[in-house]
Amino acid sequence: MTLRGELRRPMLALQRRAALGLRPFTAPVTFFIPLGISLGPWGLGIISPQTLAHLDVVVTLALATLGVFIGVAGARQAPAMPRLFAAASLEGFITIGVVAGAATLLLGTWGVPLDLPAVAVALTLGVCASASAAPAAEQGGDPEHEIASRVADLDDVLPIVLGGLVIGIANPAAPVGPVAAALAILVGLGTAVCGWLLFERAEGSAERAVFVLGCLALLGGAAAFAGASPLLAGMAAGWFWVIAPGESDKLVEGDLARLEHPLVVLLLITAGASVRPDLLGVWLFVAYVTFRLSGKLIGGWAASRLAPDVAPSNLGAYLIPPGVIGIAFALNFAQVAPTAGGSVVFAVALGAVLCELLTLAVVPADRRA
Amino acid sequence: MRRPLALALAVALTWLVVSGPAGVGALRPTALAIGFALIAAALAGSLVKRFGLPRVTGYLLFGVVCGPYVGNIITTPMARELQLINGLAVVLIAFIAGLEINFARLRPQMHAMVRFGSITLLLLYAGLFVFIWLAWPWLGIAPALVGLQKLAAAGLLAAVVASFSPTVTIALIAESRASGPVSQMTLTLVILGDLILILLFALLMQLGRFAFGGSGDVGLFESVSWEIFGSFAFGAAAGGVFALYLRHVGRELTVALIAFCAVVATAGRTWHLEPLLAALAAGLVVENIAPPRGDMLKDAIERSALPVLVVFFAAAGASLQINALAVIGIVALAVSVVRLLLIRSATFAAGRYAGLPPALAGWVWMGLVSQAGVTLGLTLIIAGEFPTWGSQLQTLSVALIAIHELVGPVLFRSALVRAGEVGRMDTLGPPALEGVPLDTRDL
Repeated sequence: MTLRGELRRPMLALQRRAALGLRPFTAPVTFFIPLGISLGPWGLGIISPQTLAHLDVVVTLALATLGVFIGVAGARQAPAMPRLFAAASLEGFITIGVVAGAATLLLGTWGVPLDLPAVAVALTLGVCASASAAPAAEQGGDPEHEIASRVADLDDVLPIVLGGLVIGIANPAAPVGPVAAALAILVGLGTAVCGWLLFERAEGSAERAVFVLGCLALLGGAAAFAGASPLLAGMAAGWFWVIAPGESDKLVEGDLARLEHPLVVLLLITAGASVRPDLLGVWLFVAYVTFRLSGKLIGGWAASRLAPDVAPSNLGAYLIPPGVIGIAFALNFAQVAPTAGGSVVFAVALGAVLCELLTLAVVPADRRA
Repeated sequence: MRRPLALALAVALTWLVVSGPAGVGALRPTALAIGFALIAAALAGSLVKRFGLPRVTGYLLFGVVCGPYVGNIITTPMARELQLINGLAVVLIAFIAGLEINFARLRPQMHAMVRFGSITLLLLYAGLFVFIWLAWPWLGIAPALVGLQKLAAAGLLAAVVASFSPTVTIALIAESRASGPVSQMTLTLVILGDLILILLFALLMQLGRFAFGGSGDVGLFESVSWEIFGSFAFGAAAGGVFALYLRHVGRELTVALIAFCAVVATAGRTWHLEPLLAALAAGLVVENIAPPRGDMLKDAIERSALPVLVVFFAAAGASLQINALAVIGIVALAVSVVRLLLIRSATFAAGRYAGLPPALAGWVWMGLVSQAGVTLGLTLIIAGEFPTWGSQLQTLSVALIAIHELVGPVLFRSALVRAGEVGRMDTLGPPALEGVPLDTRDL
């Protein structure tokens, strides 16, 4: 194959990620994170620290929205494909283990002073690392690609549950980890019931949009205010709307689809603008990228034992693109633990950009043939 | 049954979270306040609609009942966070108002409108000034003032008391899907009336500075001129850019509209412009110079306006200082009654002079009762400039706003119902109020 043809394939793979309806040349992360950095306090200063504080509400809304989407996807796919769900969870667990284990060891070795337990920072990095976003598979396309795409959808469930515990550990004002996670689920279910009572009986689409937006803000806002994870609350609500009688899940999905793009863009720009270079962040960045790649490859290899239609060497490679969930969780962590959170956001945001760029090089072998 | 149950659930959930220990020292409660206000205020709006009241009244009542002065489910920090959306909401509402004023369509009635509006405003202001001058010793503001000082203070108070609320007017017209001469006349009168009152206010502030021994420099007049003409120029330019976006890009309009409102609101704060005027000018440019093709703008406004308005009015209700009524209730009630009588008689006289049908003037006055943001803004300027007596004036003004913000929407809705204009936007379509954008059956 010519050099041109060799370069063309990964480019096409990236172009398939036609996120945001804009058909970007690469994934949105690689465009909007640098844009956020350049607009933020460390760049042109257009997004000032005060503006960033106001954008907290956007982060909370985006966390709840992403949680709902994951909950809806999980509730639909997990019971239908238990083996894939198990594979995805195994892959996620291994990645969290590799990254969190290595980070705990390194943080202990470096002796960096932290304002919260090193294990909380390490677990946060692990949770951020385990989320992945394989390129969306085309209808009737490559089955291996399709399986990888489903694993990527399902591998966010475990990190979000663990993330609910981590937020409880990291936030001194919050209840202890398991109580914080239970609180997030309770907030999620309470709001979900409220929405379920309203969505199908709304007097027209505009009123329903108000209810959906209200539920979303209540999910994120109540969870965040109670010191719990908005992602977990959103996931619990999404899960409930799928299993509850009626069509709440479809109505929510339809209305949230309009919000998703702007919220994700704002989330990524906020993450970019929140990047604050410091020594700990640089060290964490190196560890994050290195051990995330290792974790994904090992986890993908192990998970392929449960997902028989995908080659062991390929699944991990498919799962390298990190998507936005990891970044969202890092921002959530920074909300409750600003000092260490700044370093984590630095590592995860820049790590996400690097991982997206690395997918240019790491393309499954059979797709090169 | 489902709605009351959902309302109870939302209230219980928010109350539990707000009163729980974990909230202490946690994140800012912006999202929580917005979420609770959206669900509960929207439900309160649909509840009061069953009693023939406008939904806006439900949003306001929800804010009052749950706000820091009564139920305290929306705590003071939450109410403060809700105010963040005010800037955005005012811009959006003014932009919608601009979109509703089509000069080509108004031209045949322009002469009658100008005559009716100018006489109404003149009589209202003059009547209020005379009343305030005579009743000055009993208003509890600064009874000892005499001469030029009394003249300036009474003139300023008359301007404050005479001012209207474009936001409530627009929201009511949109909510009722109203179309026809009453809605058109009221809207035009409220907007132009407030513009003239703001100009008059600037002149009176100069007089006040001179009378109270200030420097008497032209700083305030210059700044008000900048606010008015600069705002119009900026708004026209912003409207032009937005019209170009509509015509040549036309994608992600909801996001573009919200971003446009955020830019105008931020520029207003940064450059000391008046966002309401800038957004009004932008709407006028879009409607009269570069109208969008098709319904894309209407659809975008339908999607974005309702949540913004619900939160805006809920926030307004939560910030209504009901305690001000307790302090100065009787005086405020007396001023309010006089204002109502003057509005009624001024519109009656102006209607006869302008040759309008008596029924029209008999309904339009009900749309001039509401007061909100403009009134409060003028009051705050006075309180900042003349702290010795401005704070007492502020207490009276806040009490008046509390009365008129609750009574005004009910009266205006009643006028629209009696004039048979409710819902005519759907049956008549474009000719009466082309392009009025909200699908307010859903408001």
